[in-house]
Amino acid sequence: MTIHRAEGPIGVRVRGTLARWNLESQRMRSPILRYGLSVVSVAIGLGLAFALQYYRFHDVELPVLTMSIAVTTWYAGIGPSVLAIVLAVACFNYFFTEPFYSFAVSASDLPYFFVFITWALIVAWFSAAGHRIENGLRQARDRLQVELEQRKHREDEIRQLNRELARQAADLEASNKELESFAYSVSHDLRAPLRHVVGYAELLQRQASSSLDDKSRRFMQTILESAKRMGNLIDDLLGFSRIGRAETKKAAVNLEQLVREVVAELRQETNGRDIDWKIGALPMCYGDRSMLKIVLVNLVSNAVKFTRLQSRAEIQIGCNGGKESQVEVFVRDNGAGFDMQYVNKLFGVFQRLHCPEEFEGTGIGLATAQRIIHRHGGQMRAEGAVDRGATFYFSLPKAQDAAERIANTL
Amino acid sequence: MSELARILLVEDDPRDVELTLTALGEYNLANEVVVTRDGEKALDYLYSRGEFSARSHDNPAVMLLDLKLPKIDGLEVLQQIRSDERLKLIPVVVLTSSHEERDMIRSYQLGVNAYVVKPVDFHEFVNAIKELGVFWAVINEPPPGSVKKAP
Repeated sequence: MTIHRAEGPIGVRVRGTLARWNLESQRMRSPILRYGLSVVSVAIGLGLAFALQYYRFHDVELPVLTMSIAVTTWYAGIGPSVLAIVLAVACFNYFFTEPFYSFAVSASDLPYFFVFITWALIVAWFSAAGHRIENGLRQARDRLQVELEQRKHREDEIRQLNRELARQAADLEASNKELESFAYSVSHDLRAPLRHVVGYAELLQRQASSSLDDKSRRFMQTILESAKRMGNLIDDLLGFSRIGRAETKKAAVNLEQLVREVVAELRQETNGRDIDWKIGALPMCYGDRSMLKIVLVNLVSNAVKFTRLQSRAEIQIGCNGGKESQVEVFVRDNGAGFDMQYVNKLFGVFQRLHCPEEFEGTGIGLATAQRIIHRHGGQMRAEGAVDRGATFYFSLPKAQDAAERIANTL
Repeated sequence: MSELARILLVEDDPRDVELTLTALGEYNLANEVVVTRDGEKALDYLYSRGEFSARSHDNPAVMLLDLKLPKIDGLEVLQQIRSDERLKLIPVVVLTSSHEERDMIRSYQLGVNAYVVKPVDFHEFVNAIKELGVFWAVINEPPPGSVKKAP
């Protein structure tokens, strides 16, 4: 048996005990020692019997020799015990039965010898049985101790992993906090100087407008527009980071109702434009309503924006079957579209596929939408072709599936 | 001036002070403003202590409060005001740079009367300040114990 990485005082003690037992059983396995023990123990028994006889104790030689047999059987096993029985019988015959100092046996003594041999055999048998039981117990104890050791080792490992996990959780929490305070100070401290740039430029424009030439006025205007644009970028970036940090409050959401609400809001900004809205039947889904509204506002307002150059814009919102547990919603337009080779850039933060002169925007809408969909366990993808429109798909868990999942976990 | 102030502006940034006063000046409200540059000074003013110990005990008709302030920040000032029997009726408008939701929630929990995020666009900023000033210092009837509009 091998014990790996036994540590601490318990481990050392266990190892010591096991080593002693190993040594003991090895000593008993050597035949010379085992048979030697047999001879020595009978000799000692004989000596003891003589000593007792000298002090006038009679008829004690038989039990003493039987003891020698028992000791031999206990420590040396079956073979040596047979030798001990033979030697004890021979000695008894030679020294203690008449005629003394001769191996001759009278017929009247035969039953006596028979009883002695039977008695010796019984003692030997009991000793051997006892020995076997003790060996069994020893082995059981060994196994138990090894098992204990292994269990302790496994517990150590589990504790180690738990510590590691707790440390990682703490790290994660710390970096989350850091991120939050970063966003907080960006939100507070970055917007203030920007407001001052805009404010003072505006005041300067007011103050000195009459004395400025056209070029200077254009410079002034550019300063103002850039500062405002930076303000929008900061606001968008903060909104994006807020999406990642905010808790989602999920419930069953009527997607069709939400889509109609979003379209109604956006319609107010598109008056005068000829847009053909096609809103298909949409199922219930499971998610955070206000976050899903941000997704829909982004996708639908994109569709409105990128169909601006079409004489007749078509915007279709509907639902594919999707996977069993999910719904897939799409928003399709016949607008400017995009080149499929840049599809991966669509969802990046501040990534744009059009110049600001063509279509305004900061390039964070789709990144925000995708982040929200990912937080809902869904996927987002896009298809399109230049000047042939674009279709954006997102998947969400179905309401009844989510409800069942929750019921199952309760 | 400090005797008649109807608006207490608590703002640490001198540029923001200037822009705010410019905006209020368009409605001739700039003379009604006392400016304190941190939360400690604002409380000194309200409690008429320190450099303001000579002032009468009237409360301002409205307090325009920035959140990020040196020493005692806006939320602490707000908390202090709302827990004081004599000051807790003062209308407080938080004027802040940030959209942070937790600031907004905390402000409303502490009983703020309005929460305004300073717009980056100057026209919007001027309009917001003007409307706040006109509403709280002119249209709104302040609680008892406030500085009354000059006759």
